Amino acid sequence: MDIKRIAITLGLSLLVSTAPVAAFEGEQQLYDAAKKEKEFTWYTAHYGSETAAAVCSGFEKKYPGIKCNYIRTTAQVAYQRLAQDMKANLAVASVFSSTDVSHHGRMKQDGWVQPYRPKNLSELIDTFKGFNDPDGLYVATAAGLVLITYNTTLVQPKDAPKKWTDLLDPKWKNHVSIGHPSFSGYVGTWVVQMRKLYGWDYFKKLELNKPRIGRSINDTVTMLNAKESWVAAGPSATTLQSRDKGNPLALVYPEDGAILMVSPTSILKNAPAPNAAKLFEEYLLGRECNEIMVKLREDSVNKHVKPLPGARSVAEIKTIRPSYDEVEKGIPEVKELFRETFGI
Amino acid sequence: MRWRHLDRSLVVWILLAGALLLLVVNPLARLVWSSFQSEAGAFTLANYAAAYGRWRYVEALLNSLVIGLAVGALCLVFGVPMAWAVSRTDMPGKGLVWAAILGTFIVPNYLGAVAWILLAGPNAGWLNRLYKGLTGADAGPFNIYTKTGLVLVMASYSFPYVFVFTRSALDLISSEMEDAATTLGAGILRTTLRITLPLTLPAIMAAFIVSFLEAIALFGVPALIALPGRFQMMTTTLWEFFEFPPRVQVAAAYAMPLLGITALLFWLQQRIIARKGYVALTGKGGERRLLRLGGWRWAMLGYCLFVTSLSFFLPMLVVLQAAFAKAWGRGFSLDNLTLGNLKFVLVSQPITRAATVHTFVYGGVAAALALGLALAIAYIVQRRLVPFGRALSYVAMAPFVIPGIVLAIGFYAAYTAPPLAFYGTAWILILAFTTRFLPIAYANSEAALRAINPELEDAVRILGGGRLMAMRRVVGPLLKRGLAGAFIVVFIPATRELSSAIFLYTTGTQVLSVLLFDKSDEGNFEYLSAIGLILVVGTVALVLAGFRLVGRDFMLRRTTA
Repeated sequence: MDIKRIAITLGLSLLVSTAPVAAFEGEQQLYDAAKKEKEFTWYTAHYGSETAAAVCSGFEKKYPGIKCNYIRTTAQVAYQRLAQDMKANLAVASVFSSTDVSHHGRMKQDGWVQPYRPKNLSELIDTFKGFNDPDGLYVATAAGLVLITYNTTLVQPKDAPKKWTDLLDPKWKNHVSIGHPSFSGYVGTWVVQMRKLYGWDYFKKLELNKPRIGRSINDTVTMLNAKESWVAAGPSATTLQSRDKGNPLALVYPEDGAILMVSPTSILKNAPAPNAAKLFEEYLLGRECNEIMVKLREDSVNKHVKPLPGARSVAEIKTIRPSYDEVEKGIPEVKELFRETFGI
Repeated sequence: MRWRHLDRSLVVWILLAGALLLLVVNPLARLVWSSFQSEAGAFTLANYAAAYGRWRYVEALLNSLVIGLAVGALCLVFGVPMAWAVSRTDMPGKGLVWAAILGTFIVPNYLGAVAWILLAGPNAGWLNRLYKGLTGADAGPFNIYTKTGLVLVMASYSFPYVFVFTRSALDLISSEMEDAATTLGAGILRTTLRITLPLTLPAIMAAFIVSFLEAIALFGVPALIALPGRFQMMTTTLWEFFEFPPRVQVAAAYAMPLLGITALLFWLQQRIIARKGYVALTGKGGERRLLRLGGWRWAMLGYCLFVTSLSFFLPMLVVLQAAFAKAWGRGFSLDNLTLGNLKFVLVSQPITRAATVHTFVYGGVAAALALGLALAIAYIVQRRLVPFGRALSYVAMAPFVIPGIVLAIGFYAAYTAPPLAFYGTAWILILAFTTRFLPIAYANSEAALRAINPELEDAVRILGGGRLMAMRRVVGPLLKRGLAGAFIVVFIPATRELSSAIFLYTTGTQVLSVLLFDKSDEGNFEYLSAIGLILVVGTVALVLAGFRLVGRDFMLRRTTA
């Protein structure tokens, strides 16, 4: 960690400790009830393992006496584990956070989750409010962006693509990197949105540039760092984390809109620790947690917490996103189309 | 009482069958059963229709078979000459070669795959850049994103099986038979090809099967190389069935033919070696002298270094660069050097330390269990102590071929409900690892036992010793070195096993492979490399120390001081 980062971190933590932290109504009662439960388990696919660890230990610091156990995996694995628990009638997890909204929709249908309307909802950035479940069965607690990324040693900022259609320019032939919708919900949502904006023709033209197709969206970071690709449809958080270390990467917020990924959290009906789960959901929306998240380059969902330099707040940029229905119906369709067009 | 006269082997057989029932049959049967079940639990063939109803699913399976065979063959080309050189010749630098092979085996294969992308990526691979610099050409000749590239990378990480198996077998062959051939006028090459290597055929075939099966069941490397290379493998296709909504039953159906293929391979192996004798170790004792290769020993060393460069030294360069770099995308430069990554994973992240301990403990216990079980089964089967021994051996070989992710589902089903509620404890991981790598232990044990003449044990029994004593005092010591090798080929894969661990670990039982996979999933190559480096250095040291304890090669005792 370089001095600058330490200074920023210190500065931020000072800010946090001096600013009055808005406690929500009924916090103390909930905390008291949660303390009796002692610990809870959180299945999460929301961020990298380091961020998940930091979020958990932040919670333990804020609410001493409650242990936060996290199982961080990819969305499919998290859901599969939960499905197995349910089948075996095991109550393990209290809180479940997938990056795939259809998981939460299905859990609602199957009656695996219980409603809760966090008091901290007023802190949520307005953009996200429309994504919460009207019945309170899931709430957006994390966000991410798919945008254009590039390697700065190979591409000058002025030459970098400005909008999604710029990736079709023949000058990027053999040098574009993308993920695969079968392996990444981020990529799937991006593909659905591109089809909505420009029709499937967008991908037929993209194929003329012979993109390098990885598995997860994070593979684009490896491709750019390896100089195997020059430009990519990549994620904001992972790219910025890698850039913070000094890797030659940069972001472009596309003129036609960065794809906004909203990732919800639910409380399970059979939660062994329902009160701790509710308290944790409040915490995920609150300031302390989002301060931790932006330090690790995740996007904040709390309207009072601004990102570190180098990134822009979701509230300030142009974001686009297909609706839940479009995602749920669209992803299986585009997977087939994708295989047809790219042969994989 | 008649019972007294019965050999105690029957009891042992029942115990072993029970252990196999628990470890293998129980989870596998649940998988087979689920492949015929609909979501609601009714009998159906729809899963098979879904799994094989599309050409691209079938094509992926064929790709896997062809690539698996190619990997197996290349592993033999890599591993057999090296094993021969290390075991039977006076080639210099044996310690280095052995350490490099161990290192190869320890590096998680997806880390190796990323390293190879950096080395032989078509646009910016180091080897391509070097070639362009030297020749002035526009493009380099290497492209890792091809089937050839995939075979090369997978063979680089599987040939240690061939090396260890073959070497264990070669270590048991005394020089007398070679002397006989030499006396009759055969040269070194002819003796080796006609006498020495054919004697190790059971071991070589077992190793081929293991490499083939591993190539088929691997997920990480194909995901990194096959997808960008625009072709599917069985395991990458399997992933589709876990997409939302997950179709576990279809995944199970898709994996079923692999059980058939394993059985077929095994049957072929038995047929080929059944009618010949491979007994190398008899009661007459033996002595092994190293072949003098003359100038050729340098050529042999050159070959060994070539193979280990592909598998270890070149990828390690990439790993070292990243492990000590602040930002690996910046390449080599002095101001980019740091110890921060190592410090972070060793000191700042307590979970890495806990996971390291878990990894070694679980891997060690699982390897010991698998080896004990495998040896007992192999012994009973080899010595034909009970009827239907062959059935046991098929069962012991079955689990390897089921991809870990599918096997994990079977485990979960088998071990979450009473009376075997292991979920949440370390035991579910240990048992899963034991089952998963039992086939490697078994293949190795069987090949090793085949080389020992039963007359040695008969001698013990004639002198009044029991079978257990024969095993403890004769078979055990004879196999000691081979067993150390066998322990390694089970222990190391267990330490890097990911696909079943990812479903079965809980808070408090994390293992390194899961952490490593997270880092690779997050594109965090600096930390990934740092953990990989620690793993390699730690495990190589551990294993070499272990070999010290086991002692020297007993057959060489007369020629080495």
